[in-house]
Amino acid sequence: MSEFEPKIVSFFCNWCTFTAADLAGTSRLSYPPNIKIIRVMCSGMVDPKYVLKAFLNGADGVLIGGCWPGDCHYINGNLKARRRVALLTELLSQYGIGPDRLWLRWIAASEGTMLKEVAEEMTAKLKELGPSPLNKTTTKVA
Amino acid sequence: MSERIGFFICHCGINIAYKVRVKEVAEYAATFPGVVVSKDYLFMCSDPGQELIEKEIQENDLTRIVVAACSPRMHEKTFRAACERSGLNPYHAFHQVCVREHGSWVTENEDEATKKALTIVKAGLSRVAYQDSLIPKTFPVNPNTLVVGGGIAGMQASLDIASSGNKAYLVEMQPTVGGHMLQYDKTFPTLDCAACIGTPKMVAVGQNKNVELMTYSEVEEVKGFVGNFQVTVNQKARYIKPNCTGCGDCATVCPVETTNAWDTHTKKRKAIYIAFPQAVPVRYVIDKKDRGPCVQKCPANINIQGFVALIKMGKHEEALKLIMEKMPLPGSLGRICPAPCETECRRKEVDKPLAICSLKRFAADQADWENLPIPEIEKKDENEKVAIIGAGPAGLTAAYFLALDGYHPTIFEKAPQTGGMLRYGIPDYRLPQEVLDREVDYIKRLGVDIKVNANIGRERTIESLFDEGYKAVYLAAGAHKSRKMNIKNEDAEGVMHGIDYLGLLNRNQPVHTGEKVVVVGGGDVAIDAAREAIRQGAKEVTMVYRRSRTEMPAVVAEIKAAEEEGIKIEILQNPIEVLTEGGKVVGVKCIKMELGEPDDSGRRRPVPIEGSEYDIECDMVIPAIGQQVNSEFISGTEGVELTRWGTIDADPVTFHTGRPGVFAGGDVFTGPSIAVEAIGAGQEAAISISKYLKGEELFEDRQKRPTGNDWQKIPENTPLVERAKMPELAVAERISNYNEIELGFNEEQAVGEASRCVDCGGCCECKLCIDQCKAGAINHDDADKREEIEVGSIIVATGFDPMDPTPMPQYGYGKYTNVFTNLEFERLSNATGPTSGKLLKRDLNDRMKFTEPPKSVAILHCIGSRDTNHHEYCSRTCCMYALKYAHLLKDKCGHDTEIYNFYIDMRCFGKGYEEFYKKVQEEGVRMIRGKAGSITEKEDGILTVKAEDTLSGRIIEVDVEMAILCTAMEARDNAEEVMRKFSIGIGQDGFFQEEHPKLAPVSTPSSGIFLAGACQGPKDIPDTVAQAKGAAAECLALSSAGVVEVPPMISAIDGDICVGCQLCIKLCPYGAIEFNEFAGVSEVNSAICKGCGSCSGGCPSGAPKVRHFTDKQIFAEIDGILIN
Repeated sequence: MSEFEPKIVSFFCNWCTFTAADLAGTSRLSYPPNIKIIRVMCSGMVDPKYVLKAFLNGADGVLIGGCWPGDCHYINGNLKARRRVALLTELLSQYGIGPDRLWLRWIAASEGTMLKEVAEEMTAKLKELGPSPLNKTTTKVA
Repeated sequence: MSERIGFFICHCGINIAYKVRVKEVAEYAATFPGVVVSKDYLFMCSDPGQELIEKEIQENDLTRIVVAACSPRMHEKTFRAACERSGLNPYHAFHQVCVREHGSWVTENEDEATKKALTIVKAGLSRVAYQDSLIPKTFPVNPNTLVVGGGIAGMQASLDIASSGNKAYLVEMQPTVGGHMLQYDKTFPTLDCAACIGTPKMVAVGQNKNVELMTYSEVEEVKGFVGNFQVTVNQKARYIKPNCTGCGDCATVCPVETTNAWDTHTKKRKAIYIAFPQAVPVRYVIDKKDRGPCVQKCPANINIQGFVALIKMGKHEEALKLIMEKMPLPGSLGRICPAPCETECRRKEVDKPLAICSLKRFAADQADWENLPIPEIEKKDENEKVAIIGAGPAGLTAAYFLALDGYHPTIFEKAPQTGGMLRYGIPDYRLPQEVLDREVDYIKRLGVDIKVNANIGRERTIESLFDEGYKAVYLAAGAHKSRKMNIKNEDAEGVMHGIDYLGLLNRNQPVHTGEKVVVVGGGDVAIDAAREAIRQGAKEVTMVYRRSRTEMPAVVAEIKAAEEEGIKIEILQNPIEVLTEGGKVVGVKCIKMELGEPDDSGRRRPVPIEGSEYDIECDMVIPAIGQQVNSEFISGTEGVELTRWGTIDADPVTFHTGRPGVFAGGDVFTGPSIAVEAIGAGQEAAISISKYLKGEELFEDRQKRPTGNDWQKIPENTPLVERAKMPELAVAERISNYNEIELGFNEEQAVGEASRCVDCGGCCECKLCIDQCKAGAINHDDADKREEIEVGSIIVATGFDPMDPTPMPQYGYGKYTNVFTNLEFERLSNATGPTSGKLLKRDLNDRMKFTEPPKSVAILHCIGSRDTNHHEYCSRTCCMYALKYAHLLKDKCGHDTEIYNFYIDMRCFGKGYEEFYKKVQEEGVRMIRGKAGSITEKEDGILTVKAEDTLSGRIIEVDVEMAILCTAMEARDNAEEVMRKFSIGIGQDGFFQEEHPKLAPVSTPSSGIFLAGACQGPKDIPDTVAQAKGAAAECLALSSAGVVEVPPMISAIDGDICVGCQLCIKLCPYGAIEFNEFAGVSEVNSAICKGCGSCSGGCPSGAPKVRHFTDKQIFAEIDGILIN
């Protein structure tokens, strides 16, 4: 059986992290293909439902990328994201989804390299952790 | 399902196709539910590509389109337009997925890239079916433009905007426009002079009626959106009105000198200055920082920096006038003030604090007091009378200011003479009575009536003063009652309290002084009493103080003088009993103390050491452990209360007591304190009383005490100068008499001492400039002004900073005298610079002095550029200006001057650049291919430059007389702040990020905000001007379109779901949500909403959703990614 490939759903803010992903591309920095990007206008837009939905539908990890504190295009959306993620982490852990599966990272538009590093780091971490506990159950039932 | 989806995947030449098997993706997409067309094409964004999409829409009645290509940030607009041309609503129909930047370019393996592309495509195909029709709103565009930065880029852009007939607001941080270009001398490769081509631009922006020039200003806030920005600009106080003619008369009298930043600190300027003669606007500016710490600390708020500067100029009369704006007793206080100002003086960072107090005395002593002119006073009606109780410093000061204000004050003094503690508490050898007298006489000449031997409290009470017609009463009776020691036999014969002892002596009354005297206490009164006792013939005087020496409150110099006079000081001892025989003092029993924990005053509390008692033999004990207020005189005055410390209760700001019209200040209010505090209180009382008599609100319009710590930097090379030493009578000459011990500074000492001032506040507010200015243009009360302007577009042209090479010790910049930066060299070469354009070496002993032309010069390229320790990038201009310097040196210093260029590569890429390189080489300039590694200085100032000549592979050392460091251009140090203000981005190099490096070089992610010049990256003048014109064209395009479409992706609240909790209202950073009381739901104001989604992410019931990012759309995307 081939190696476990974690599925990572990423919500990237249009102004910083999505742009950083574009920059990683134009700079030809390769990183694991496990990261799949959904473009949002601001990390503060990421409804906790989106994260729950992703885990329920089989994501092994969720990565939210926003601007550095103080740099938010919408003043402070990223700080709201930070508070939501803190709460969500708490909630998810009660369902066996540990804090290592939901990442919030500040990645500025110029930090293509950092995007690559985060992608590598998160993929490696999730490989180490194995599939999401929710996925294990569904696999068994199937 | 009625949706008919068309899928199109782009090869992007080979950019996508080399990793992603596009055919396979297209084949897969064709199998996706609803997809009726699935095609691939070499360049989807090209005309044929777009035509292909349009054709398929028409032929197959497609309702939805997904394009897999580059990033939507690149071509979303292109394809949306194609959909629109085919009659589809682009928001409803179109979605772009990114298989290039997020796919082929970042995935190594072809299988993986293809698989990733399939997943992303699936997500896109899932999402597109849920998209809704949206119609963007259009707004009119304000045709005016804000240009930030008045360098060549900003000036050019402003002129281009202005020539269209629209208005440009040009905001420049410095007092003049011009920017770095105007600091330069010649410009490469044509060698035309920067001033000759730059000053016409400056004049043009100054005169063009469509350019509103806002110099010495900064943008504070930007609100709004493309086409409709509201910008707040702060115009810093310039202190000079627009009618300034630029004549410069003011600068000739200004006493404050500092170095001119425009000249890279190679030349001096005054605190009132103009950056350079051709500045635009030709309007001086006063460099005013926060008031100096001395001024802030002085309880009387005396303009210390001002009078010190005037003494430095030899203007002693003006200095005294300035002091007397704040107090009437300069000679007295100049002798006895403990000078809290001096402890704050920043000169101590260099050597010792300034002798401020003695300088004040100097100013006072120069005057002829009898003939000191009386200012013109507009006297008020005779019944505007004020009674002042006490002729001490507080009372005298209040009377002085009230008299100057035209009132008729009368002072009632209980003692036979005026002065209060100044006369009765301070010995004549410190403050001669004549000094006090001449100042009191002056106060009398202003119209102050002083009644001595006038007791208040018995026949005459405070109430009866009102009956006599006094409209206000100021209680300033001081604190004259000595505090008791509360020990056994305290009332024995031979015990006399310090304040009483000094009082009797100062009244010339007979006092018996013992042979062996013990003085208890460590304050000024104790010291004065001890020194008096010596003069009165005591053989042995011992001071007993319960804490340690550092805690003694007396002035250090006084303690020293006392010891010189033979007084013994016993520290950490405390008397516990007065020993008597037959009712007379024979000694004091003391106990030794040690220091324990700090008490409320922050000083360590003395604790007795058990069993350490011992006796001191003496026949007189003088306790001087503090004074209290004698409050008898207020007894029976309704409303005037005492605090629990026995002082009179009053408001700490207005000094108004509980009885209307009665004010209190000085020691009666604070308890025993220093004279200058009482003077400060007298000033405030005069203000309060005047307000009270005019019926004004006491709290309103009171001047705030100066604060802040933005002070002028003390130059690093400030030479050490010893603090002037006060000439004194020798001990033998003074011990037997009451002659004044301190003799005062002579003129030379005073001027020298005043010159040590480091001018913390920049401008010293001596106000000499006011009299000098014939145009009447000076306004020292100017304040910052905020202005709101409305524009449709913004050009950011904030320029660059030259890198400071100080952190590279290998080049010795700042340490070796003749190592220059490029900008310093430009100033040398410039006709308005420190040498008027001559290229000269610095004097080895004085960096501000320039001597003779160098015979050899090394020019070091790439300092901080192309250097992984600093900036990886090439600064693009250095090679060329280095060649220019070589040429200028040859030209100005003679063709025999040896010039060495140390370079890594020569980059001469522009029009005429390579030709210039060749020309300079032909002039005999030596080119050494190798970056210089270090500079060292020999004793005679000769610099040795060491480098590897990479062509010969040898290490070489070259001795030169001057070295020039071609430092990197770097992003401004406030770039991040600017980035946030304008919501633009910063790239890895620190410069502002353009939207696309090739195709959108002046645009930013924030629509309507554009970049020009070196703030976007290092560039030379031609490129800067070209970019400025590009940015201006973008703005004019917006303006001439007249309307702008705003993306319709804003929030909407579903009223059927909203429960009216109003959480969203708190979350919204723009205040765009309002609560509809009638419907009980929150509603979005679409004109304000920017679509950030803070509300949608936070709503517990999911009522608000940003259009185009709804739950259904995002869920579909998640499903597409995750479901196989």
